[in-house]
Amino acid sequence: MTAVLRGPDLDRGRVAHSRPSLLLAGDEVVFAGQPVAVVVATSEAAASDGAALLDVEYEALDSVDSLEGAETDEVMVWPHGTPTAASSQAGLHGAETSSSDSGSASNVDERRVFERGDVEGALSGAHVVIDRTYRNARVHQAYLEPHAVVAVPGVRPGEVTVHTSTQGQYVVRAEVAGALGLRERDVKVVPMTVGGGFGAKYGILDALVAATALHVRAPVRMVLSRTEDMLTTTPTPETSIRVRLGVDAEGRVSALDVRAVIDNGVFRFGHAGIVATVIGGMYRCEHVRIETVEVLTNRAPVGAYRAPGVPQALFALESSVDEAARALGLDPLEFRLLNAVDGGDLTGTGRPWPDIGLRACLERVREHPLWRSRGSVPFEGVGLAVGGWPGGFSPAGAVCRVDSDGTVRLHVGSVDISGVHSSMVLIVAETLGVRPEDVEIVQGTTDSGPYAPASGGSQVTISLGGAVLDASRQVREQLRDLAAAHFEAHRDDVELEEGRARVRGVPAREVTFGQLAQLGERLPGGPGPVVAEGRASLKGGAPGFTAQLVRVRVDPDTGVVTPLEAVAVQDVGFAINPLLVEGQMHGGTAQGLSFGLYEGLRYEGGSVTTANFLEYVFPRALDLPTLEAVMVERPSEHGPFGARIVGEPPITAGAAAIANAIRDAAGVRVTALPVTSEMVWTLMRQEA
Amino acid sequence: MYTTEFDYHRAGSVQEALALLAANPDAKLLAGGHSLIPAMKLRLASPPALIDVSKVAGLRGIRLEGVEVVIGAMTTHRDVEFSDVLRAACPLLSQVAPLIGDPMVRNRGTVGGALAHADPAADYPASMLALGASMTIASTSGERTVPADEFFTGMFETAVAPGELLTEIRVPAATLGEGQAYEKFAHPASRYAIAGVAAVVRTQGGSVSSARVAMTGAGYHAMRLTKVEEALVGQTPTPEVVEAAVRGAVSPDELLGDHFASAEYRAHLVEVQARKAILRALGSAG
Repeated sequence: MTAVLRGPDLDRGRVAHSRPSLLLAGDEVVFAGQPVAVVVATSEAAASDGAALLDVEYEALDSVDSLEGAETDEVMVWPHGTPTAASSQAGLHGAETSSSDSGSASNVDERRVFERGDVEGALSGAHVVIDRTYRNARVHQAYLEPHAVVAVPGVRPGEVTVHTSTQGQYVVRAEVAGALGLRERDVKVVPMTVGGGFGAKYGILDALVAATALHVRAPVRMVLSRTEDMLTTTPTPETSIRVRLGVDAEGRVSALDVRAVIDNGVFRFGHAGIVATVIGGMYRCEHVRIETVEVLTNRAPVGAYRAPGVPQALFALESSVDEAARALGLDPLEFRLLNAVDGGDLTGTGRPWPDIGLRACLERVREHPLWRSRGSVPFEGVGLAVGGWPGGFSPAGAVCRVDSDGTVRLHVGSVDISGVHSSMVLIVAETLGVRPEDVEIVQGTTDSGPYAPASGGSQVTISLGGAVLDASRQVREQLRDLAAAHFEAHRDDVELEEGRARVRGVPAREVTFGQLAQLGERLPGGPGPVVAEGRASLKGGAPGFTAQLVRVRVDPDTGVVTPLEAVAVQDVGFAINPLLVEGQMHGGTAQGLSFGLYEGLRYEGGSVTTANFLEYVFPRALDLPTLEAVMVERPSEHGPFGARIVGEPPITAGAAAIANAIRDAAGVRVTALPVTSEMVWTLMRQEA
Repeated sequence: MYTTEFDYHRAGSVQEALALLAANPDAKLLAGGHSLIPAMKLRLASPPALIDVSKVAGLRGIRLEGVEVVIGAMTTHRDVEFSDVLRAACPLLSQVAPLIGDPMVRNRGTVGGALAHADPAADYPASMLALGASMTIASTSGERTVPADEFFTGMFETAVAPGELLTEIRVPAATLGEGQAYEKFAHPASRYAIAGVAAVVRTQGGSVSSARVAMTGAGYHAMRLTKVEEALVGQTPTPEVVEAAVRGAVSPDELLGDHFASAEYRAHLVEVQARKAILRALGSAG
C-alpha cells in the first residue's frame, strides 16, 4: 500500500456541486456510494487488501430516501443550502449566505411552470379526461465497460494528463480544472475508446483520480468494479408524473395538465426544460400546464442517460393518450395523427418546432403489416407509441489534409462513442472523390484536437459534419487549384474522382492526390501544403421523431410479458451512414423496451440492492424481439446533407409501447416501470 | 476485484483430499469454483486455503450400476447435459443441466459442487429430491449415505459435516411407467430459479402409483411438495386432478420474497410450475 487519502487530503477549498466535482467525503457522507477514502497501492490486489483494512465509523443521520419524502422538507438534504457551481465553503458550513452563494434550504431544488391557455377550464369542458399518475424506477446506463481513468502528473507542478474513457474530453478538462483549481492549459485529457457511455461518461472519476495522482506524484489508475460503478455513478431519475389529458368529442386533445416530480439525488441536475418540451410538444393543444418539481434526495446524483427524462415523460403521456383513444373508441394511430404536431406547432415550453417528421413516421406505421394485420390472438397485443428528441447542436471545427501518398487525414476533437466517426469519413470521401478507406481519422486530445462538442445529445454528426464538410470542400478547391496549375488548365475544367484529378475531355492525363500534395509541399512560391480548417455553427437543431410498434404475449398464468416483434420508424433526415443509423435505431429501441420491461435500480432506504448484473435486470440478446428499423428521410433544414439527430429518439417510445401492448394483450394498464411479471399478474387477478 | 491471499492445495485422491481437510480445518473445497471464486472476489468469503478436488481421480463420470445411476461428484453440468446414460435412465437431469448458468459455467461447474453449496435457487436440489437420490459422503472414518430428503438442511447448508467430502450421487434409474420433468421460472437477471419444480410420477393401470414432486428457488432450501404428492397418488391424473393437487402446494409463509417476486407470487409460481412439471412428466411416462 502506498497511500491512504481521506477527504481533507484532497480538499482544495472547492465545493462539490455535481458528481464530477465530487472528490472525497469530508465529515458527512450524503449518499450511499459516495467515495470516502482512496487507497493507492502498487497492485490492484494490494489496494483491495488495503481498502478492506479501512474501518469507517458511520453515525446514521436523518436522510431523505424517497421522492415523496423530499417534498415535505421534514428532513433536509442540504440544511445550509443546495451547493451550486458558485457556492462558497463558508456558506455551506452554515455561515451567513447571500442568495448567490447557494439555493434556499429546501429539497425542492426547482419548481417551474410552463403554461398556456386555461387548463382547468378546458379540462372541465372536456368530453373525456384521463387522469393517471405514473412511476418509474431509476435506470442505470449499464454500459459494459465500467468507469476507468489513468492520471499522470506532469513534469511541472500542477500539470496532469488524464487518460479516460469519456464522451467529451473538453467537458472533462473543464471539470477537472474546476474541481482542482487548475488552469485548463495544465490539464490535458486524452480520450480513450469508450466501451459504452449512454450519457454517463462525462468525467465522474477524473477529478478524483487527477487529484490523487497529483497528491502522490505518481501515475494513478482507477477502474471501478461493477458494483462500485452502479453505486457511485449517475443513473436516470425516478419520477412520478401525473397526467390529466382532456379530449373533446371529436377526438381532439383539448387540455393537458402535467405535474412531474423528478428525483435528482443529492445534486442539482435540470430535467425540467426537456421534460416539458417533449411531454407538451407531441400533440397540438391550446390549453397546457406543465409543472416540473425537481427534488433532492440522499441518493446518488442522477445524470444524463440517452434522451434524459424523456422515456419517463413519454411513458406517462403515451399511456394516457392510448387510454384516451380507447375511451373514445378511436383507433390509437388515427387519434395520434389527428393531433400530432408538425413544424411550427408549439413545444411544451411554447416554442415552435422547426420542420419535423412525427406525422410522417405515423403515416409509415399505418402502412406497416404489423399494424394492418394486428389480430385477435388471445393474450397477444400490439402497442403503439411515439417519441422524439430535440437534440443538441454546437459549433465545431475540423482539419483536413492530404498526405504525399494520397492519404486524406481528418483531424477531429470529438470522441467516437458509436462509430460516428465513420460518418465523417464518408463526408470527406464523398466531397473529395476518394474511397472511404483512403481517409484516416485522427482523434486529437484536448491539446491537439480542433474543438468539437461532447458526443452526447445526438449531435456529433450534425454539429461536426458541417465543419468536416467545410474543411473537405476547401481541400477540394486546393486540389483543384494545384491540378489546374499542373495541367495548365482552367480550374473549372478540373474533375476530381477516385483520388485523381483530370481535365475534362482529356481522360488520358491524370495526377493523383498524392502527387498534388507533393506539389503543394515542394513548390517554392506555390500555394503550400494541402490542408484546411473547417468550422460550422448551426443556426437550429434537427429534431428526430419516431413511432414504434411492439407485439407482446402475456402469459395468463404468470404475467410474464414476452416481446415478440418490434418496429421502429424514425425520421433520420438523411442517413449519411445507413448501417450506423440502423444500428443506433436497433440499440435505442432495445434500450427503450428494456426501460419498460426489465431495468430498474432497487433501493432499500437510500441504498441500492441491485448493484450487480446478477440482480439488475436487462435483456440478453435472446430476450429481445425481432427489431425492424424503418427509416423515413425528411431532410432537416439545418443538418449537413439534411441529416437529423439519430441516437436518442429511438429510446424514447419503447416503455410506452410496451405498456400499451400489455393493455392490448391482457386488458390491464401498468402505471409503473419496469413492468415485472408479478405486477402484470397482480393486475390481471384484480381485473378477473 | 481480488480475493484475499490463500493457500492452494490440489488433491489427487479422496484420501489426500480428506487428509488436507484434516490438516486445514478452515479450508474450503474447490470444485468448479463458479460460486466460491466470485464470493471470494467480492470478499464475501475469505478462506485461508483452498483444496482443489476437481481433479480427484475417480470422482468424474456417470455410470449405470444395476438399477442405479452413479454420478461422480466432480462430473460437470456439461457431462450431465450430454450423457447418453442419463438421457435413457434419468431424463430429468438431462433436462435440468442445460438450464444451469451458461456454457462456460456448465463446462466448469460440477454436480457435487452445486449440491454441497446448496444455493437455495440452484436447480439440482429439487431434482435430487424428486428422484429420491442418495449422497455418498466420505470422511477419514469411512463412507456414509444420506438420502436427498435429509441432505438439504437450510440455506447453503447440507448434511455434509466439516472434514467430509461428497463423493458421488446415486440416482434410481427410471422404471416402466415413470415420467420425469423439470419446470423452471428463472430470475430474468441471474437466471437462477425463482420457482423450479421437479416431478417424478409413476402411473399404473391409469392411476398414479407414486409421485415425488419438489421445488427449489422459492424458499430457504429445496423441499418436497408432499401435499401435492399425496393428492396425486391413487388418482386418475386428469388435468383437473393435477390442477386441484397443486393448489396451495406451498404457503407463502414458508417462502422468500424480494422486490422482484413476493412470497405470495412465488407460492403462485410454484403451483404453476408444479402443474406444468406434473403434466409433462405424465405425458412422457414410458
